[in-house]
Amino acid sequence: MTAESQCRIYPEAINEPEPSGDYVHINIGPSHPAMHGTLRIITTTDGESVINAEPEIGYLHRGVEKLGENLNYTQFIPLTDRLNYCSAAANNVAYEMTVEKLMGLEVPEKAQLIRIILMELARIADHQVCVGILGVDLGAFTPFLYLFIQREEIYEIFEKTNGTRLTNTFGRIGGVDTDLPEDFGPMWNKLRDGIRKANDETDRLLTHNRIFMDRAIGVTPFSAEDALNWGFTGPCLRACGVKRDLRRDEPYYMYDSFQFKIPTGENGDVFDRYMVRMIEMEESVKIIDQAYEMYRQMPEDAPLMARVPKIIKPPAGEVYHAIESPNGELGFFIKSDGTSNPYRIKIRPPCYMIYQAFPELVQGEMIADLIACLSSLNIIAGELDR
Amino acid sequence: MPDWKIAIIKVVFIWCWTLIVAVIMTWVERRGAAMIQDRLGPNRAGPFGLLQPLADGIKLFTKEDIVPARAQKYLFTLGPVMFALPAFSAYAVMPFGDKITLGGKEIILQISDVSIGILYVVALGSIAVYGMIIGGWSSNNKFSILGGLRSTAQLISYEVPWGLAILAAVMLYGTFSMREVSLAQQGTFLGFLPNWGIFKQPLGFILFIVAAYCEANRVPFDLPEAESEIVAGYHTAYGSMRLGLYLFGEYINLYTLSAIIVTLYFGSWHLPYVDMSTFLGPISYGIATFLVFFLKVAFFLWLFVWVRWTVPRFRYDQVMGLGWKTLIPIGLFNLFITALFIQLSI
Amino acid sequence: MSKPAVKKSYTFQDRIYLYEIIKGLGITIRHFLANVRASLRPGPHTIPTTWQYPEDRTREISPLFRGAHMLILDDQGREKCVGCGMCARGCPAKCITVKRGKRKEGQEDRYVGKTYCTEFHIDLLRCIFCGYCEDSCPKGAIMLGPEFELAGYSRDDCQLFKDGMLTNFHRAMEEGKLRPPRKPVKVEGAAPGGSGTGAGSSSKSPGGPDKQADKTQQ
Repeated sequence: MTAESQCRIYPEAINEPEPSGDYVHINIGPSHPAMHGTLRIITTTDGESVINAEPEIGYLHRGVEKLGENLNYTQFIPLTDRLNYCSAAANNVAYEMTVEKLMGLEVPEKAQLIRIILMELARIADHQVCVGILGVDLGAFTPFLYLFIQREEIYEIFEKTNGTRLTNTFGRIGGVDTDLPEDFGPMWNKLRDGIRKANDETDRLLTHNRIFMDRAIGVTPFSAEDALNWGFTGPCLRACGVKRDLRRDEPYYMYDSFQFKIPTGENGDVFDRYMVRMIEMEESVKIIDQAYEMYRQMPEDAPLMARVPKIIKPPAGEVYHAIESPNGELGFFIKSDGTSNPYRIKIRPPCYMIYQAFPELVQGEMIADLIACLSSLNIIAGELDR
Repeated sequence: MPDWKIAIIKVVFIWCWTLIVAVIMTWVERRGAAMIQDRLGPNRAGPFGLLQPLADGIKLFTKEDIVPARAQKYLFTLGPVMFALPAFSAYAVMPFGDKITLGGKEIILQISDVSIGILYVVALGSIAVYGMIIGGWSSNNKFSILGGLRSTAQLISYEVPWGLAILAAVMLYGTFSMREVSLAQQGTFLGFLPNWGIFKQPLGFILFIVAAYCEANRVPFDLPEAESEIVAGYHTAYGSMRLGLYLFGEYINLYTLSAIIVTLYFGSWHLPYVDMSTFLGPISYGIATFLVFFLKVAFFLWLFVWVRWTVPRFRYDQVMGLGWKTLIPIGLFNLFITALFIQLSI
Repeated sequence: MSKPAVKKSYTFQDRIYLYEIIKGLGITIRHFLANVRASLRPGPHTIPTTWQYPEDRTREISPLFRGAHMLILDDQGREKCVGCGMCARGCPAKCITVKRGKRKEGQEDRYVGKTYCTEFHIDLLRCIFCGYCEDSCPKGAIMLGPEFELAGYSRDDCQLFKDGMLTNFHRAMEEGKLRPPRKPVKVEGAAPGGSGTGAGSSSKSPGGPDKQADKTQQ
């Protein structure tokens, strides 16, 4: 075996052969220091500018939807944790809401508030990851760690509520199975100050730093019309200027009784996505404050769970329900045939729609911009590949 | 003692000293980064992790030396050597202090005081560029070649502002020799400021320090080895002591650049307003100037670490834009102003 | 599809890089000095955000933490588990195997129910530590405990059998980390102490009504 034959890189994985002329294939492979999960991008570049970037997904495909067909409705909840693992509580609640919608259940108010509080905490955690990783990919390593210290405190709250830090199998069909911890009030006060301080420091380190601004403003802008056509939702859509947020447009639970703003950007570039996420973290803090205030006014022994039968057997039918998860519209489509196992569960991951537009976004940009764009879109492989 | 014996002792001493400083710099970098980031850093190998550099060195020596299959073997070995050797050689003209009198003989704390001191360092810096491009090319790896190309373009572009800043300083002092530049920074300027270069050449200082960050491949200019984009740039395919030479060479470059900054702009070994030779004996004077010089250099080494963990990095075309479109005009302007002031004998 | 043109407008302070960079340097040096001062204090846990783990195990984990499984003994030292296999049926990862045997004469002081589990096997490499086994147990006989150091050198080292689970229980009891079983949450329209649902809830008293928290699969 000659040295050449030992070094073949699977050409069949790339649709075209090595291009002639000045273009070069660069494989930003499944394992890459730009830690975004297992994504593969086959870029065709001319020096440093990208001619074409072809994403390849599926490296983290675990067959979640198929596994769901052999499990109970309740047993599927731990699998939903592992979708968007940065904000696990939001996925759990989205799934539970869909099943409740199928069964026509109404979750008691106190349980709604607990779900809202944990979902917003998960939103803050996810945005902290995204902003931190954006900094790391751009070379500023320190804000990442400052934000993660606060994320650690959010984990503490999750641990005291339900038992695990990251993949909290939170809630059951019909309500929640645990109450907030007794010392949630003091923990939240400390955490609120910590989050505000970490966000402030990140802001002061990055937002007006011209190096960061040059790297982020004007990098991969996207028009609102294109974003809507591609199916963008969430912070990426709001950064393009479209004011769409499911908490406002199709309110669920008690979101219509909270006061919070929906930040929008103008150009849909990396900087706008970053700013939208930073402001959303602050708005989530306000929502949690208001929700906790309402929670404290509820009686101690308010019910936390609706009346559900012991075996969950939704009536035959199909339903789709979506919530505003930190990344966008996370939807579940469940088709039930009346038995205790779902017939089909389909998950609508927000990153999937966003990642489809990736070649469009980075065409003509440089490799450094490709990396910045990828990290600002917050592509989470667990959700993308399911 | 004949002169050549003294020279050999100086060479050996300075060789060891630079290696020690480079080694301590790895520790400072890791602990400093950790302390900035609210964490601890290495603290297992020895108290406060002080033996960590020793552990790193042993690791680098004993790792398997891999040469990629289709790499150019001789160029692959030549790359790190060409990078580290000029870094070491630059110390021949670096002043470390004033002079020390041992056994009745006055010895200057500098290996050789050539009349082209700074020019020699700039020339060696240009050779180091070859080390990076050869390393990147010979690894036969797309990421490496990207890193090598970026580094070449960056380093060559920033040699112009670097040179312009040095040129202005040289015009001011009238000499290339490092020792004479240091000696010229005695006393006070305008009656109350120390006669240091920074007060006479503030713009030149800014120019020099930006160009120094670029020559040292440190954030915000570390795109040749930008970890999140091109894995590790030109030293992706390197392991073991070849990588050790690259990493070491980088830290030694840092020391060189800091030493030049201190010599040209921060008064070399002089304390402000105080002339140490009046109250210290000859031997302690030598040691005192050595310490003062080293403390100033240590501050600038810390500045390199401090900025690295605070600031994001530039993009390739922004680096080029900054160098050619902003810094060179500033450098020319600085040169013009300096010439004007010298002509008007201020 | 064309890209929108982006207008960049910088203030003067943004434009000269140095002002903001120096402000950023101020933030990091403040952290640095605080941390250096903290790390020079004596004691194991000086910087509050970093725990020197193997030497310093004082970090408190929550009582609800879901670690390795424990088989619970009641206050008379009898095993509560009746070997019904509800946990195995409730497990989403299918990692539990239970074998049931009848209680013999003279073993009333060892086992509470008429049957008990002769063999209990959990494959920790498959377990996702969701806690559904604990939720579906009608007797409150299995709980997830505070043990999280579960690494082993081979696949066989990571299998948990009945003796291991009992050891976990005794260790948790000695360290005082045993928590009472989780109270079932209040259900809408039910009397206080109402029944659990779906994943069920652990019953508080042994020998209570046998809750068929059923997880039949098709």
